[in-house]
Amino acid sequence: MKSKKQLILTCYSIYLICTLLILGQAHAQSDNNRNRRITSSYYISNATVIPEPGIIHSNYDIIFKNGTISKIGKNLTIPNDAKEIKGESLFVYPGFIDLGNNSGIEIPTLPERPDNFDTSNPIPELAGIHPHFSAAKHYQFSENIEKGWRGLGFTIVQKIPEGKGMLSGSTTLVVLGNEGNNNLLTDYPSQIFQFNTVRGVYPHTKLAVMAKWRDLFQNTLLYQEHRAIYAKNTEIGRAEFDPVLNALVPVTQNQTPLLVASKSELDTRRALKMQEENNFKLVLLGVDEGDELIPVLQSKKVGVILNLALPDDKFSDSLDSEVQGKDYDARMERARKAYLEPLSLASKYEKAGIPFAFTSLGLEKKDFYSNLSLMIDNGLSKDAALAALTLNPAKMLGIENISGSIAPGKMANMVLLTDSLFTKNGKVAMVISDGYLFDYQDNTNSEKTGNQVWKYSTETPVGQSKGTWEFIKKDDQWEGIVSYDSPKGTGTKKTKMKTLELTDKSLSFSFVVETNDGVLDVTVDGEIKNNTVFEGSMNIKGYSQFTVQATKDEKPNKYHE
Amino acid sequence: MNKKRLLLAGLLIWLSVQVYAQGNYSGDLLIKNAQVITITNGTLENADVLVKEGIITEIGTNLKASKNVKLVDASGQYLMPGIIDAHSHLALEIINEASSPITSEVQMRDVIDPFDVSIYRALAGGTTISHAMHGSANVIGGQNVTLKHRYGTKDPDRLIMEEAPRTIKFALGENPTRVHGIGKNLQPRSRMGVEAVIRNGFEEALQYKAVWENWNLEKQQKEINIAPPKFNLRLQTLVAILDGKIIIHCHSYRADEIYMLIEVCKEYGVDKIVFSHVNEGFKVAPELAKYTMGASVFSDWWAYKFEVYYSTAFNAAILTKNGVVTSINSDSDELVRHLYHEAAKTQRYGGLTDDEALALITINPAKQLGIDKYVGSIEVGKQADLVLFDKHPLSIYAIPQMTWVDGVKYFDRESDQDDQRIKINIKRSPDPFRLSTGAHDCMQDIDMLFTENYHN
Repeated sequence: MKSKKQLILTCYSIYLICTLLILGQAHAQSDNNRNRRITSSYYISNATVIPEPGIIHSNYDIIFKNGTISKIGKNLTIPNDAKEIKGESLFVYPGFIDLGNNSGIEIPTLPERPDNFDTSNPIPELAGIHPHFSAAKHYQFSENIEKGWRGLGFTIVQKIPEGKGMLSGSTTLVVLGNEGNNNLLTDYPSQIFQFNTVRGVYPHTKLAVMAKWRDLFQNTLLYQEHRAIYAKNTEIGRAEFDPVLNALVPVTQNQTPLLVASKSELDTRRALKMQEENNFKLVLLGVDEGDELIPVLQSKKVGVILNLALPDDKFSDSLDSEVQGKDYDARMERARKAYLEPLSLASKYEKAGIPFAFTSLGLEKKDFYSNLSLMIDNGLSKDAALAALTLNPAKMLGIENISGSIAPGKMANMVLLTDSLFTKNGKVAMVISDGYLFDYQDNTNSEKTGNQVWKYSTETPVGQSKGTWEFIKKDDQWEGIVSYDSPKGTGTKKTKMKTLELTDKSLSFSFVVETNDGVLDVTVDGEIKNNTVFEGSMNIKGYSQFTVQATKDEKPNKYHE
Repeated sequence: MNKKRLLLAGLLIWLSVQVYAQGNYSGDLLIKNAQVITITNGTLENADVLVKEGIITEIGTNLKASKNVKLVDASGQYLMPGIIDAHSHLALEIINEASSPITSEVQMRDVIDPFDVSIYRALAGGTTISHAMHGSANVIGGQNVTLKHRYGTKDPDRLIMEEAPRTIKFALGENPTRVHGIGKNLQPRSRMGVEAVIRNGFEEALQYKAVWENWNLEKQQKEINIAPPKFNLRLQTLVAILDGKIIIHCHSYRADEIYMLIEVCKEYGVDKIVFSHVNEGFKVAPELAKYTMGASVFSDWWAYKFEVYYSTAFNAAILTKNGVVTSINSDSDELVRHLYHEAAKTQRYGGLTDDEALALITINPAKQLGIDKYVGSIEVGKQADLVLFDKHPLSIYAIPQMTWVDGVKYFDRESDQDDQRIKINIKRSPDPFRLSTGAHDCMQDIDMLFTENYHN
């Protein structure tokens, strides 16, 4: 065994050395990982193409090469080396752009706190003030992380740096291309600002964040003034290099936008106040309330990035509960209306004519399409939703010359769907990003990963109950999700299984059902026959036991979750 | 069906109240036949008060107004100026920036919470103005903001009384020494350290002032031969205190520390200072009368910590009789709803007259906040912040009926709704009425600083 291992190691080192020796041609020589493309020239034939919101072309071809779209139109002459992507039943949209995403970003290493650390006067890095940090330096493209985002249709993502404090650094753009490439587009940074703090040191609350911002802004101006005077008269002494102020110079000069994370309408008002006091290019990140501020934002030309993440629906279930009295009903009605507000916020921005973008911050990937559908159900037009995912963010970032729509000269970033966008059958089939083709048709290929879906039914005294069991294999461990009819009367609920044991012959797990009165502990236990049929019992703790039958779904639905 | 209709009706009423409250910033009003407690000019029997665009324009009998002016028949009822609370933490998102012994750069106007339903409850207790203060964790805390209770707006700035001068919070004694000294091993660890922090702050401010004056002169020269100084909002604010542009409101309990700050202020030429709490104020009443803008006290609250043991319910009366401008404050979202009860206690403990007792919650706090030109009494030319009681406000049976700010009615007992919230926070429980609301206090928001180094 040992010698074999050594042999492999030796071979590998030789391979590495060879690679280094013939670096220029290495890729042409060998492609063990099958990463290399046969060609970088493609064409999509006969597709329905939506180059930008509001425009639709049938039977269009798109030619792209080396990551750039070269032609779009009908009956194009196809270059000889171009590989065909059959677009006959597909709908092609521009690749989506996500503003504000932190997956894959490493937490920067901060200096150690000294023994006699003075919490009232910490060095900026320990106070969460490090605008000189950059997301680009703390990010390494990883297919594992980005595959899921790309599978939703995203092709360009603005990565925001990690940091608990008010100024955590500059953002970077990432194109969700091939893993072997660097994929960073670093020419379009924004500075990120939040009212959060490291806590326990100065600044501890948003009170001091506001004050500190005023100080930093004025001192950045004075820093520039000092340097300007020094350029003429060195006798005043040089301005000591200050990385924090230096990083803020482009913000004070209206070049780099300040992306202010707004968690509430009061935060939004604070951001507006900051801008009123000291002018800078303001973009609000993660807005989900405060529709009455729309006219103000419009008049001040503030960039707005709305939240794709929406609040949990706590209301659909409880509406049918027993009578709690007039006051309770009135309060719940107001709460329900408040819940609907973030859902209709995007449509209000559309009506006001403010172009907005979206951020995936705080969003679970599985909610992406359903949340957009909720917004559309609440008045947002599909065109505006598409614009918010493509054209608007491109303009906001100043990259509309290379992205945001499907046109010659732009990056080959496209989403290919099985039906039109935001329809039930419109699933992501393929994504082209940076000219690379990614096939998502077998995204949740159950056979490959061994994932299983079972349909069960059980007879209870109050009637038949049905649902599904989904089993997903993660790191050789089974994880399960059970769906059931909500005991509160409306809809289906999903919950995670606990103490799951699944073999070829048997299955057992437990889960918890929330009812109006409390929780029910449910356990399921039984045998599997012929790999496809389950028979067993469902035991509700403190109540009774029912028999359960289930069958394995041979072709589980493929959702791009 | 019936339930739905009821709901709808309720909602409509609520909405109309909202529209009314938001749409008008100042109102016209004629209140007829009230017992008008002017505070500065005795009580006028069966008098009328006319308000135009939020300002009291006439006080007398048989006043007339045009048809579209809202008429209130106040026969048999008592009209007094809106109650003013000189020490409050109402309507604030954050109270303490407890991370440094001096945080004069922070401003409470940055963290006003217009959605705090306590504003409405204060209005229901006749309180129209509150002084929203920084907490007492730091020796020199943040800059406070004087709020007018224009409840119903979502714009925090709409609550600010722009005419009010700048004020700042100072704090002496146990709180700053506990947070910074014991909690973080910083100065101050004792009352001596508190004095040193203030003195050091003032000294640095004087140096800062000189540096900037020098720079501003240099900038006018053709050739600049010095480097620009650093900007420091903390020191700049201390400079403004020394220049007499900011009124100090100082949390204090013991006579020795009160006298200490009087001496320090005298030394630095600062005379705009009001002491808050001042439980031992009765021991230094002549000094408070001579050197300060007054004392803002509790009626009868003490013994909640060591430095607050030596106290008396006669404090307000003793201070008043010694010529100290005295007010009674709430420091609490609950007490602010019945400050007229607190004022009435001074008649039991010290025998103050009606006018003296009511001055404690009207014109005197107005003086301490530097807004007595505008509010604090019913006088022609003053802002129409008014409250109508069914009985004399110093009677334990009195209940506020209506409350106006700038002539706009923000509270009416007749149309009071069960749910007066402006905003529903869905990030919390859908039915927050089942949760208890957290009480504000002077030491709020310092949690982390304690848990890190010190366990209570």
